[in-house]
Amino acid sequence: MQFPWTKTDRPRPSGVDDGDAIVVSGLRKTFGDFVAVDSVDFRVKRGEIFGFLGPNGSGKTTTIRMLCGVIAPTSGGGTVMGYDVVDEPERVRENIGYMSQKFSLFQDLTVDENLRFYSGIYGLTPEKYAERRAYILRMADLEGRENELTGNLSVGWKQRLALGCATIHEPKLIFLDEPTSGVDPTARRQFWELLNDLANEGVTLFVTTHYMDEATHCNRLAFIYRGNIIAEGTPQEVKADLTADTILQIAVDRGEEALAALEGLESVDEGYMQGSLVHVNLGRRTAEDAGLREFLVDHGFEVGAIDRVEPTLEDAFVHLVTQQGGRA
Amino acid sequence: MGAAAKRVTAIARKEFIHITRDWRMIVAVLVLPLLQLLLFAYAISFDVRNVPSVTLDLDRTAASRSYLDSYSTSGFFDVQSAVPDYAGIDSAFDRSEARVAIVVQRGFGDALAAGGTGAVSVLIDGSEPNSAQLGQTYAVALNQSLGRRALASWAEARGLGTVRVGSVEPRIQDWYNPERRSADFLIPGLMIVIIMIVTVQQTAVTLVKERENGTLEQLLESPLTHSELIVGKMLPWALLGVMDTLLITAVSMGVFGIPLRGDVAVLAVGIGLFIVSALSLGLVISAVAPSLESANIAALLLSFLPGFMLSGMAFPLASIPVALQVVSYLFPARYMVEIARGVFLRGASWGVLGPQVLALAAYAVVALGIATLLNRRRRA
Repeated sequence: MQFPWTKTDRPRPSGVDDGDAIVVSGLRKTFGDFVAVDSVDFRVKRGEIFGFLGPNGSGKTTTIRMLCGVIAPTSGGGTVMGYDVVDEPERVRENIGYMSQKFSLFQDLTVDENLRFYSGIYGLTPEKYAERRAYILRMADLEGRENELTGNLSVGWKQRLALGCATIHEPKLIFLDEPTSGVDPTARRQFWELLNDLANEGVTLFVTTHYMDEATHCNRLAFIYRGNIIAEGTPQEVKADLTADTILQIAVDRGEEALAALEGLESVDEGYMQGSLVHVNLGRRTAEDAGLREFLVDHGFEVGAIDRVEPTLEDAFVHLVTQQGGRA
Repeated sequence: MGAAAKRVTAIARKEFIHITRDWRMIVAVLVLPLLQLLLFAYAISFDVRNVPSVTLDLDRTAASRSYLDSYSTSGFFDVQSAVPDYAGIDSAFDRSEARVAIVVQRGFGDALAAGGTGAVSVLIDGSEPNSAQLGQTYAVALNQSLGRRALASWAEARGLGTVRVGSVEPRIQDWYNPERRSADFLIPGLMIVIIMIVTVQQTAVTLVKERENGTLEQLLESPLTHSELIVGKMLPWALLGVMDTLLITAVSMGVFGIPLRGDVAVLAVGIGLFIVSALSLGLVISAVAPSLESANIAALLLSFLPGFMLSGMAFPLASIPVALQVVSYLFPARYMVEIARGVFLRGASWGVLGPQVLALAAYAVVALGIATLLNRRRRA
């Protein structure tokens, strides 16, 4: 429904079925003096899982909101499933699914009522709704719990129901904004299985996350940092820069203190915590040259195993951010 | 059903489920208004009757006794006791036993018998100005009528025809509310204010809630448009507003005996426009408020205070400061109170209330437009 003064759709050729799912060029958004997204360019191919990575506040959500036509870019633009995000936001929104970390379910509605609501929002026919409902209940493992209040479901079920609601209209592209935030590891793994199933059916997935281990599920990645894309490519390509470097994983007590001490060393290019372990990047130096064990023992730390490890995406990210002159 | 209609229905249905699932909401929407009506209608009464009083008879004649008796029988004064001296009056005022004291001075009976003026003092406890004012008015009126009677009986005793004494006596006749019951005056206004409070309050929080739960973001990423969202949100509340109106009207007529003299169609159209206006006002608050608490407070301030002060419900709008009169045009209640009173009490119809209905229609359109625009602007 539109009031007379709302802008109506202009008839124009769009929504081409082939080509990339997302094409973005010079996309920029500023809020006053703050540059949230600084003229980014990237493409997402149909059917791929595209990981959009970066720390909180780096511009991930702002980018998604522009791509969904929820906010207008300050300059630049792009197409999503062939539709222009600035000129045809309504078309864009009909053709995408969106799921955020808040899951966006109505807690005081039952499972069925939530499904029915989103079916109405996306204008499903009764037949289509019946079909999708059955599919989603099975997918989310909620068969027999249709009349339970959504608020009473535990988080893994809520997450899958939210995915079901976001995809009730079978979109060919789904934006997932930190979909696994605050979910336990088991539920996260199950969720990624569902995402892989969708990808195998040819659905394009645009996923933001700050869990680097999840990024390995993606076909291609883009790192966004302070509004700029600082790296883009397959996980292997992103890590390629580091394969010649020596990355050491150090088991040590009082990890944070040890990291602080190590970062003062000239031989250590980068260091950060990975769980309770300390990761250091020695660049082209070898482990022997650095003499890290002696250094740590001299400083009163209790040192366990020191292993040379393959660079992880997290190593790559720290490396990239360090090159940008910042801290991850 | 078109896609747009489907989306509006989905929102309206969901909104309705929210309401029915929360018993506190049902209480707030259907029980509280009735409770408010009963409380306010009984509590806010401008009728002062049975003003507690004491008498002091310093004359102690037949004339003074009959004069004081007329107070007891008037219905306006509740004569608690006769005190022996002025000190008695003081202590009666102090203990709040009386607000008015009637003192008949020595020589009252003689003066009347001589055709002169009997001296009477009416002492009023000014610490409660409202009843004091009314007590004074009643006492003056009573004395005038007693005075005339005294004059007549004096003239008669002397064989003079009262007609020839001649005095002009205004015959005041009340129309529309012949018994001058303040309930008749208050309830049509009160009814509007209550409906305003319910509708503004409920819609003010509805969008803020969705924003805080993150569900609004989800809806923004869907094909749903802002106009659809707003219409869908309004529908169930409009329905409840109409239910409230019927309920309150039934109680007002059944319990308080408020007459319904005018054209019901005017009232129905007026109420419809008024509800849309009030809901839009709520949605404007919802668009601007940063949090649930601030939405609640803003809704309370913008519905309760103007409802009571600036609607003409309790105080005639002509008697409030000009600046506030201007402000009163910004709230829909003033138009609707006029319509309600016109239809209920004066039996008015389109011809008279047309301007008010038009004003309300204009208000509804503008408020709805602002609500839609403000909610759209939050996107950028």
